[in-house]
Amino acid sequence: MSRWSKFSTGTRPRAVVATVITAGVLIACFGAASLFVYSGAYDVAGDTPHNQPVYWLLRNVRQNSIAARAHDVVPNDLGDAKRIASGAGQYAEMCSSCHLAPGMKRTEISRGLYPRAPELRRGSVLTPAEEFWVVKHGIKMTGMPAWGVTHDDEILWDVVAFLRKLPELTAEQYRAQVESAPTHDKMMLQMNIGH
Amino acid sequence: MTTHSYFGRLIGVAAVGLAMNLCPLPTVCFAHEGHQMECSDSSLNAMKADTQAMPDGKSKTTATKEMEAARDMMQKKDMKACLAHMHNAMEAIEK
Repeated sequence: MSRWSKFSTGTRPRAVVATVITAGVLIACFGAASLFVYSGAYDVAGDTPHNQPVYWLLRNVRQNSIAARAHDVVPNDLGDAKRIASGAGQYAEMCSSCHLAPGMKRTEISRGLYPRAPELRRGSVLTPAEEFWVVKHGIKMTGMPAWGVTHDDEILWDVVAFLRKLPELTAEQYRAQVESAPTHDKMMLQMNIGH
Repeated sequence: MTTHSYFGRLIGVAAVGLAMNLCPLPTVCFAHEGHQMECSDSSLNAMKADTQAMPDGKSKTTATKEMEAARDMMQKKDMKACLAHMHNAMEAIEK
């Protein structure tokens, strides 16, 4: 009887072989991953888009992560005109340079960001709670800042209220809405003195 | 010839000369307004990034197909066709 046939018949030697093979596969995977990380093989340049599988993976991780964390209770008054007007001013100040607005041409920053910031005048697939979560916490490695670090929740809900309205606005309506809004500096001052 | 018309012609010739200098390649001059498109890897990459950010739908499908067609044309060195497909892709992106 050969040495290998002896291994294949006994239960214990078979377990040893399986363990050795599993360990070998794990070591090979770890080695390949290390090689990938430390060789600098992956191109992180912002002007070279991810290939489709990587983009799919990152997009799905992002979408599911947001959906799993967006549990804040949505205020009932998102349709309130005052909220929307306030949100318009915040949007023009904080968001429009990347996410653009009705009647606005693409900016240098919007053309250079990768992944591209979504043009929110086209609408969004996110729920209000998800939009609030994104505005408040930002998204890693996308250029989306965490506005919750510097703004209170009420102001961020105003932005969400405006985002719900944005796709309906023409360029003129958007401009009028922003012009009628309290200025960003005034709102920040009010926030800081607790009004 | 009067001095006035002489200077008029001179300015006209200078303007044509300047335009020719600014547009060394016809493909660049025909590019979509504001995008400085040309049939190159960097322009196609920028366009790919734009299409990736689009919501799923007809426009995205059209943009993706046109962009792939543009890349094929670029590989075949047909720059005019490449630019035409890029233009179509850009139209779909901006819809």
